[in-house]
Amino acid sequence: MKSNRDTVSFTFNGKPLTGYRGEPIAAALLAAGIRTLRKHEESGNPRGLYCAIGHCMECRLSVQGKGIVRSCLTPLEDGMTVLEGQQLANEITGRKLP
Amino acid sequence: MKPKLQQTDLIIVGAGPAGLSAATAAADNGLSVTVIDEFPEPGGRMLGQFHEEQGHWWVGKRIADELIEKNRAQGVSIRCGVSVYGMLKVDQLWEVSTSHGTWTAPRVLLATGAAEIPMPTCGWTLPGVMSIGAAQVMTNVHYVKPGKRGLIIGVNVLAMAIARELSVSGVMLAGIVLPPGGPLAGKAALPRNNLQVLMGLSHLAPSPILRFGGKIAYALGMAGIVSSLFPRRGIKLWDIPLKLRTAAVSINGTDRVESVTLADVNAKGEIIAGSEREEAVDFVALAGGLYPLAELASVAGCPFIYTPELGGHLPLHSERMQTPVEGLYVAGNITGVESALVAMAQGQLAAASICSDAGVLGEDGDRKVVEAIGEVQRVRASALIQFHPGIPEARRKIYRMWQQTYEAGV
Amino acid sequence: MKPSSLIICRCEEVTIEQLEQAYQTGSCTSRQLKMKTRASMGACQGRVCRQLVDAWVHDKDPDSPHDAELLSYRPPIRPITFGQLAKGEL
Repeated sequence: MKSNRDTVSFTFNGKPLTGYRGEPIAAALLAAGIRTLRKHEESGNPRGLYCAIGHCMECRLSVQGKGIVRSCLTPLEDGMTVLEGQQLANEITGRKLP
Repeated sequence: MKPKLQQTDLIIVGAGPAGLSAATAAADNGLSVTVIDEFPEPGGRMLGQFHEEQGHWWVGKRIADELIEKNRAQGVSIRCGVSVYGMLKVDQLWEVSTSHGTWTAPRVLLATGAAEIPMPTCGWTLPGVMSIGAAQVMTNVHYVKPGKRGLIIGVNVLAMAIARELSVSGVMLAGIVLPPGGPLAGKAALPRNNLQVLMGLSHLAPSPILRFGGKIAYALGMAGIVSSLFPRRGIKLWDIPLKLRTAAVSINGTDRVESVTLADVNAKGEIIAGSEREEAVDFVALAGGLYPLAELASVAGCPFIYTPELGGHLPLHSERMQTPVEGLYVAGNITGVESALVAMAQGQLAAASICSDAGVLGEDGDRKVVEAIGEVQRVRASALIQFHPGIPEARRKIYRMWQQTYEAGV
Repeated sequence: MKPSSLIICRCEEVTIEQLEQAYQTGSCTSRQLKMKTRASMGACQGRVCRQLVDAWVHDKDPDSPHDAELLSYRPPIRPITFGQLAKGEL
C-alpha cells in the first residue's frame, strides 16, 4: 500500500491544487475532480484521460519546464505549473474544419 | 560528443509478468539484464489485477513485488519511466533508443504486452469516457476512483474481471451493457453471442470470475437456449447488473459525461423503438478486448501473422519464443492475449531460449528449453482465465508455420 | 448524434461517414483509408483505432486480406523531444 505519501502543491490553469508526490499528474487531477485535460487542437472539443498507460496520447498537457507530456505517466512534483492542452489556431493546424 | 552507450547481455522491454520472469531467470544463469518500462513503477498490468481463486485472493501486486525483489537481489537493472522509441541492429548489436539514452545488447526480448480495443459509442470522446483498463489502473494502481457511478459498455472476460475488481474496490456501477450495433461492434452487439461467450466461460469451471450462483446459472442456461428468455431487467452478477438485452445508444454531456442513453434490443441486436431512456452516470468504461502490442517487433523488421484467437496480428515466433530476426525474442501478451500466469511461464521459456542461444547453459540448453516449453503448456491447460477457447490449436498452427518456413530441410 | 457521425479515430476526429465517403470514392484498404481520411494517422499512431478501421474494412469486404504491412509502425513509436533525439543517435 502507498502509505505515508507526501502531499505536494501544484497549479492547474492557475488554480492551486494538492496531490501526492510521484503519482501521475492525471491521477492527481482526477482526484481533484478535473476531467478535461486538453482541448482538441483543431476542433477545441474537450478531452480527458482515456487509456491511463501511455498508449493513446489523449491526456497530453503542458508542464512548465517540461513541455507537452502524457499526464498519465508523468509523476507529480512539488510546485508544478500545469496547463491544459490548447486548441491551436487554424493557421497552425492548416486543416479546414467541417 | 558521442553519446555513452550502456551495454548489457540482454535488454528486456516491458516490466510486466513476462519481462520480470524472464529477467530473473536470465540473471540466474549469469546474464547481465536491463529491463525498461515507461510506466512509473514495475509490474505491468499485474499491479491492478486481483481475483478470487479456489477460496483465496490472487493478488497481482504481491506476485509483482516478489518478482521485483528477486530481480533486485540478482542485480537486474529495472529502469521505469523510460520510453523505448526505436531499435536498430548495428554490427550484431541491438541499439535500443529511449527517452533516457541508448542501450545496446546482442539480444532483446520484447515483452510489451497488449493494448486495448475500444468499443466506440456516440459521444465516446467526452471526458469521463475511458477504456476499461484505465478504470482499473486509476482505481487499483493509483487509488483514485474513476467517478461516482459508472457504466461498462461491452461484455467480455476483461470487462467481467475488471467489473468485479471495481465493485470490490467500492466503485458504483450502473451495469454492464451491450455496445451499439453496427460494423465496429460486430457480433459483440448480439445478445445471443454474448450469452454464448458467458456460457462458454462458465463451463471453464472452476472459473472464479464467472462462478454463477444457482439462480443466475439457471437464467443463463435458459437464456443460452433462447436468448429472449434472458430477463429484460438483467441479472445481478455479484452486485453488478449484467444487462444482455440492453444496448448503449449514446453517451451524453456537454464537457463531461452526464448520462448514457440506453435502449432494449431484440435478438438481432436491433434497438426496440420507444425503449430509450437515460441513465445518469459520471464515467463510462469501454471494453472491446485486447490485442498484442507489437510496434517494436514491426520496427525491428519481424514478420507478422494474423491469428484472431490470440488477438489479431502478432510477431511470428517459434515455440521457443524466437523470432525470425536474429537476437530478437518475444514473450507474454505480445505473442497472443492470455493470462498473467501464462505470460510468466513464457518469460521463463524465453530466458531459457536466450541463455541456450548465448551458450551459457552448455549441454543443458536444449533440455532446459524443452522443460520450459512443457511448463508453458501445463500452465496454459490449467489457466483459470482463458481469453479464447481456441488458443492451444491457434498456437500449434503458428509453430507449424514456423517449422515449415524456418526449419524445413534442417 | 446520428450513428453515421460516430467518430472512429479520436486523434483526427474522423467519422464513419468520412470513411464511407472515402470508400465510395475508391479507398478500399486500411492504408488507403488512412491516407485519404487520416484515420489512425494521429498522435496515437493508430494504437487506439487501427483494429476498428481493420474491422470496418472487413465488414465491407470479408475477402480482403488481413495484412499487417498495410498499417505498419515507424519510429519514433513514442513521443520524444528534439533534445532526447539529439542525445540518442538514431
